[in-house]
Amino acid sequence: MHSVTPVIAAHDLTKTYTFHQQRAGLGGALKSLVKRKYETRLAVDRVTFSIGQGEVVGLLGPNGAGKTTTLKMLSGLLYTTSGDLQVLGHAPSDRKHDYLRRIALVMGQKTMLWWDVPAMESLLLHKDMYGLSTAEFDRNVAELAELLEVEHLLNVQVRKTSLGERMKLELMAALVHGPEILFLDEPTIGLDVVAKARVRSFLADVNRVRGTTILITSHDMDDIEALCSRVMIIDHGRLQFDGGLDELVRTARPRKLVRATYATTVDAVRLSGLDGVTAVDVSGQQVALEADREQAGAVMEHLTRLGPLVDLDVSDADIEDIMRDLFLRRSTLGDLS
Amino acid sequence: MSTLARNLRVVRRMTAADIAQQSVYRGAWIIFMLANITMPIISLLIWRTALASGAQLPVDERYITTYFVLLGFVTMATSSWMAGFLAQDIRLGKLSSWMVRPASLLTGFVANNLSEKFLKLFALVPMIGIVWWIFRDSMTIPAGPGRWALFAISLLLGAMLVFTIDILIASLAFWMDDVSALVQARVIVASVLSGAVVPLALMPSWSKGFVDHQPFRYTVSFPVEIVAGQLTGHELLVGLGIQLGYVVVFAAIARLVWSAGIRAYSAVGA
Repeated sequence: MHSVTPVIAAHDLTKTYTFHQQRAGLGGALKSLVKRKYETRLAVDRVTFSIGQGEVVGLLGPNGAGKTTTLKMLSGLLYTTSGDLQVLGHAPSDRKHDYLRRIALVMGQKTMLWWDVPAMESLLLHKDMYGLSTAEFDRNVAELAELLEVEHLLNVQVRKTSLGERMKLELMAALVHGPEILFLDEPTIGLDVVAKARVRSFLADVNRVRGTTILITSHDMDDIEALCSRVMIIDHGRLQFDGGLDELVRTARPRKLVRATYATTVDAVRLSGLDGVTAVDVSGQQVALEADREQAGAVMEHLTRLGPLVDLDVSDADIEDIMRDLFLRRSTLGDLS
Repeated sequence: MSTLARNLRVVRRMTAADIAQQSVYRGAWIIFMLANITMPIISLLIWRTALASGAQLPVDERYITTYFVLLGFVTMATSSWMAGFLAQDIRLGKLSSWMVRPASLLTGFVANNLSEKFLKLFALVPMIGIVWWIFRDSMTIPAGPGRWALFAISLLLGAMLVFTIDILIASLAFWMDDVSALVQARVIVASVLSGAVVPLALMPSWSKGFVDHQPFRYTVSFPVEIVAGQLTGHELLVGLGIQLGYVVVFAAIARLVWSAGIRAYSAVGA
C-alpha cells in the first residue's frame, strides 16, 4: 500500500493551539480584561504517515479529534508546531505558487464561489489564477460539467442553486485546474442521498481517470466505504489506526454477523453451546448471532439444520457500528494499528 | 507568466466580477455619495459665512471653497473600508478559501476597492460637477496640467497609504479577537488629522509642526492642498517625498505584521 512514491509524507506532525479562557458573563469579561488565563491544547500529536500518488484515503475521527487540523496543515492553512511535513515536495505552509497550483481544498461548509454572480465567473477567475490556456480551460469545464451534470447551472447565479448543486459547482471550481491532490473536508455534508451518490461516483471517476490523490474527512461512513481503500483514524490528536478498511473491520470486529430467517419458530436452546458463537438473539423466526471467522462455516451448517430456512445472511460488522463503538470507547484503538 | 502579471489579471477579473455584483445596489451608491458630499458642503457654507462675517482666517475664501468642493472626491478616492471586513475574514476563518489558491490574498480587497470606487465615481462626479459649477467664481483652478498630474499622483499615493494602514490594523485580528474598536479609533483620528472635517490650515499654530508631518495629512489634505493651496514647488516635492516615504514605511510594517500574523492564523471553522 505504501510502496508507491509518497506525495504526502508526515513525520511526528504536531500542532498545538494557545487560547485564553474566559468565564461567561460580565464578571468573567471584566476579569479577563485584567488577567487572562492562557491554555495550550494539543490538537495533533506526533502523527506519522505517508500517502502515495493516486490513493484515496479517509481521515476519520470524532469531532475535535484533530483530523481537520491535520487537513489544514497539509493544505498549508496552518503552520505545524513541530515535525516534518512534505506534500508534493513542498512544505505546505510556505504556500508557494508551485504547490498551491497542484492542490485543491474543498470545505463542505465554506464556499469558494462568488454568490451574486454565475459560477462561470468563479471558474474564469480560476482560469486566470492558475494560468490555464483557453483551450485547456474549455476542455476541463466541458468534461467536469458533463461528469457532474451541471452544464445548465454554469450561468445561473450561485445563490439560486440548491445545496447539492452548489457542492457540485464547488467541486468543479476545485478541479478545473487539474490538481494532483484533492483535500476534501466533509464534502457531502447536508446533501440528500441522490446528490451524495452523484458526488461519490464523481470523486471515484476523478481518482480513476485523472489519478488524483484524494484525502477526505467525513462523518458519513457511506462516503468512506464508497471511496476509500485506506483509512486513518485520529483520536485525541494521535493516529490510532492506518490501514485498509477491511483490515479495520477484521481487527476491530473480527466476528461475522450471521442472520437467519425460518419458516417456523426457532427453539433458542438448540443454539446454546455452539463453539465460537456469541451475542445470540432469537426472536420468533429470526436468529441473529456473531461467530468467529474460523467457525462461521460450521455455524452456518448448524443453522441449516435448525428448521425450514427461508433466508441466510453472513456479513462483516457495519462500518458505522464499528466507528460508533470505537469513538464511544475512545481507548483501545491503539491496539489495532 | 510572472507573479505580478498573474495577480494583475486576477485583480482585473475580480474587479469586473465585483462591479457586476455591486451594480445591483445602484440606489445605495447614490445615497452613499450624497452623504459623502453633504458634509463638505455644509462645512463650506459655514466657513464661507464665517469669512463673510469678518472672521480672521489664515486662508481666503477661494482656498476654503476649492478645498471643500474637492474634499468629497478626494476622501472617496483615497478611502478604504477593508479593515473591518479583512479582520472579520481572519477571525471567522474565511481567509482559508483564498489561502489555498495561488494568488495574493489582497487581490480580492484591491479589486473590491477599485470596483467600489469605479461605481461611486459615477454617482459622485456629477454631484461635484454641479457644486463646482455653482461655486466656479470662488475657486482656484490651477493653470496647466502639471498640478493636476501631481494631484493624480498624490491621490494614488494617498489611496495606497490608507490601504496599507487598513491592512496593518486588520492584521492585528490574527492576535486580537476584535479589532472593531481600533478600526473606529482610526476613523475618528483620521477624520480630524487628515483634514476631512476641518482644513489643516485652520489648525492652531502651535500644532503646525506635528499636523503638517503626521501621516494622515497625506491621505486627504495634501492632495487637496496641491490644487487649492499655494504650495511652492519645493513644498510640493518635499510633500510628495514624505507621502511616498509613508507609503513605503507603512507597507513594510504591514507586510511584516501580516507575515507574522499568517503564522498565527488559526483557520477557525471546518
